[in-house]
Amino acid sequence: MRPLLRVENLVKHYAAGRPSPPKNKFPALDGVSLSIRARTTLALVGESGSGKSTLARCIACLEHPSSGSIWFEGVDVAGLHENQQRLLRPQIQLVFQDPASSLNPRWTALEIVSEPFFVQGRFSKQERSDKACAWLDHVGISRKMVSRRADELSGGQKQRLAIARALALEPKLIVLDEALSALDYSVQAQISNLLLELQSSLGLTYLFITHDFAMAAHLADEIAVMDHGRIVESGPAERILRSPGHHATRSLLAATPRVPETPTILVNF
Amino acid sequence: MTQRRKLTRWLIVLVFLHGVVAAAGFFAPYDPVEQDRERPYLPPMRIHLIDAYGHFHLRPFFYPLRLRKGSFDQYEEDTASAVPLRFFTRGADYRLLRLVPSRLHLFGATVAARVYLLGSDAYGRDQLSRILYGGQVSLLAGLLGAGVTLLLGALIGMAAGYYGGWRDDLLMRAAELFLALPWLYLLFALRAFLPLTVSPLEAFLLVVVVTGMVGWARPARLVRGVVLSVKELDFVRAARGFGASDLYLLRSHILPETANVLLTQAAILVPQFVLAEMTLSFLGLGVPEPMSSWGNLLASLQQYSVLVSYWWMYLPALAIVPFFLGYLGLASALQQRSSAYKIDGESGWSPT
Amino acid sequence: MRYFLRRALHAVFLLFGVSLLTFLFSALTPGNYFDEMRLNPQISKATVAALRAQYQLDRPLPVRYLHWLNAVAHGELGFSFAYNSPVGPILWVRARNTLLLTITAMLLAWLLALPLGVWSASRLGRAPDRILSGTTATLLVIPELVLALGLLILAVRTHWFPTGGLVSVGFESVSPLQKLQDLASHMVLPVTALVLGTLPMLVRHVRASVAEALQAPFLRAAVGHGIPRRKLLYGYALRAAANPLISLFGFSVGTLLSGSLLVEVVMSWPGVGPLLVEAILARDLFVVIGGVLLSMIFLVGGNLLADALLYWADPRIRTAASAK
Repeated sequence: MRPLLRVENLVKHYAAGRPSPPKNKFPALDGVSLSIRARTTLALVGESGSGKSTLARCIACLEHPSSGSIWFEGVDVAGLHENQQRLLRPQIQLVFQDPASSLNPRWTALEIVSEPFFVQGRFSKQERSDKACAWLDHVGISRKMVSRRADELSGGQKQRLAIARALALEPKLIVLDEALSALDYSVQAQISNLLLELQSSLGLTYLFITHDFAMAAHLADEIAVMDHGRIVESGPAERILRSPGHHATRSLLAATPRVPETPTILVNF
Repeated sequence: MTQRRKLTRWLIVLVFLHGVVAAAGFFAPYDPVEQDRERPYLPPMRIHLIDAYGHFHLRPFFYPLRLRKGSFDQYEEDTASAVPLRFFTRGADYRLLRLVPSRLHLFGATVAARVYLLGSDAYGRDQLSRILYGGQVSLLAGLLGAGVTLLLGALIGMAAGYYGGWRDDLLMRAAELFLALPWLYLLFALRAFLPLTVSPLEAFLLVVVVTGMVGWARPARLVRGVVLSVKELDFVRAARGFGASDLYLLRSHILPETANVLLTQAAILVPQFVLAEMTLSFLGLGVPEPMSSWGNLLASLQQYSVLVSYWWMYLPALAIVPFFLGYLGLASALQQRSSAYKIDGESGWSPT
Repeated sequence: MRYFLRRALHAVFLLFGVSLLTFLFSALTPGNYFDEMRLNPQISKATVAALRAQYQLDRPLPVRYLHWLNAVAHGELGFSFAYNSPVGPILWVRARNTLLLTITAMLLAWLLALPLGVWSASRLGRAPDRILSGTTATLLVIPELVLALGLLILAVRTHWFPTGGLVSVGFESVSPLQKLQDLASHMVLPVTALVLGTLPMLVRHVRASVAEALQAPFLRAAVGHGIPRRKLLYGYALRAAANPLISLFGFSVGTLLSGSLLVEVVMSWPGVGPLLVEAILARDLFVVIGGVLLSMIFLVGGNLLADALLYWADPRIRTAASAK
């Protein structure tokens, strides 16, 4: 069966003088290849600076790779023109790490989740509001919170909000760029369970980017390990966890505080 | 909390000051163009409560001035005929805010005897009325000029910051150029190359446009800075991820963030632009007679005789001081609130 | 060295830009200008025609600009119609008068601002500081125009100082000492106006910079070493606070020619200011361009000077520059 997403030899150089991560010795992405089957979760694990975020942005069409291709449902999105890309965007959504900067703090929860509809120009005001409320409900944000400003919400609530926003346009693929890393452990557990639940009920595909193997273990079907802009090891989650091959994988595994033998199911508060 | 209180305090002061000037018709006893050739250069009249015989009167009154015997420019009070001040009296027609016709004035005297609280000028026109009406012109010029500059600056700053690349370089080089120029000189030079004798309305518009075009560089740089930092924020990226257009991003996410900068700049620029209008008009390059502005009210001071004998012609200059105070206070309160700025940083007063 | 070259190049670029701008302004309404000239009875038709030919008004804009640039490079700034002579000599005389005024005022302002600012910073928050801050705040609120006019009226009514001009009548025939006295008495008013206009902002800047420097740990270490107070304030704190002040100084130098326009006009001081205003009212094109250009040179030069001073004074900038 054809994978939902296939990345082939993606290379990304950063132009000199760009403010964000100054990679002077090597390119941010140095020939990355991976594939994800529909309705599964691929966890991309790597250290800070290994190029994970760059990859996430390229896949979400927020940046252009220097060379290589990104096949989504058989279409090479990397080569597409801006206007064509815009049609495809609703299919691939991104959830960012830091909800403080990924949500406009002055906007209310309702406005934030309605924004995708507004931008796409599809529904009437009432329809937008109804749909947004439905999604907020889906992620567990109560009606009372709906008109609160984003900066009045807790970290966990903010990430739920970010997830709701990502779901609004009913994407097929959601890229979660360290989406749980900024949260407390207990909240992490809640949100990751939410993600699993959404995946099974909505048939979503996740690309879950993290530096924490424990989280990857909890969520992933397959794991790919990234180091210095390259995929150094990939395969089914269990195999990677039990017998890591590459030294980068092993050092990452060693760094995690605990690696559960079997996925633990934590209680929802 | 005290930041907000300070802010509101200065806002109230400014609203009050502007309100007085906006309602010039009400506060001014006379029409500013109404002449009285019989009474040129009258000194300010004094308001008394106790008359020459030592009697106390509840209603304030004044003595009309008459020429001293044997002199043709010395005035003295005519203690024989006291004229009471009337409050909320009917006087000359005027239109409040150009819309509502009215005849109600805060105070006035009789038809025969006019009260000149701040003296009169060469044509016998009441200075107080001229100052109040002149304030409308000067303040409006300042507000509009600042508006033009901020609009220009915001547009250029957003274009430079958002699109970057060669556009950014070009625009910022131009900004550097404009910042390097002494704005007063530039103002004059600009004004110089435009026709000199124009109608008052044209002159007013000219002043607004010229002052507006001179000062865009600093707001543009500040706005660009804000745009650069907001552009990289994830919620902007996310919106782009839904397929948002550049215009949408600029309008809905980036523009609101610039509001702070623009407000602070407004508080700093408005008084400077009022001053620019005053300077231009004072030198005869701005608003001409018979329209009065604070600047051309001072123009008569260029004559030595006026300087020596008629000190009250200086009073229009003081009119701007409370406004400066109000705006300076507002600017500093705004700067403290958005404490990303240092007081002696980019957005401070410019010396010239 | 390379740092200087870069900054110098930058300055030259600025000058070109400004000359272009000024020239463009003048070229915006040429017909307008010469039409008004033709109406002026003082200028003969032949002169107008000759001037039109000389300044090649019929040639395209870039050619005229180059032609004008060439003339300027030879020090030839054009012809003044009001004064009926080349612009250069008129401008130099006026510039000299202006500089006399502004240099005196600037020196005075800085000599006052430094000790006042340092003293204020050393007694931050206490009575002397608050009084000084209140005074500067009050002065800041009064615009220069108001200040200058007010001083003028004061002088006129008290007859303490002469109220206009450079020197009195009969200047040539008195002794050098009396000449000096006369000049000085004429200078008092405009210099006071200028100083009062610039002092408040200077004091605030000095105070802010020194106050910040006084917070630094190395200063407290110096106190611990028992270094006397005056040396601390001036030798250590002021030097640490020098950077923004040096830039400010450069900026002050830059405005030497242009900052006094208003005061000169109000006080009838025969400097560049009144010349410019007259020229504008008389539509004396080349005087205006010359005046603007000259003041621009000062501004750009002032910035360059500030850069040079900073480079010399602050070793950190030197190392940063050479590392590039």
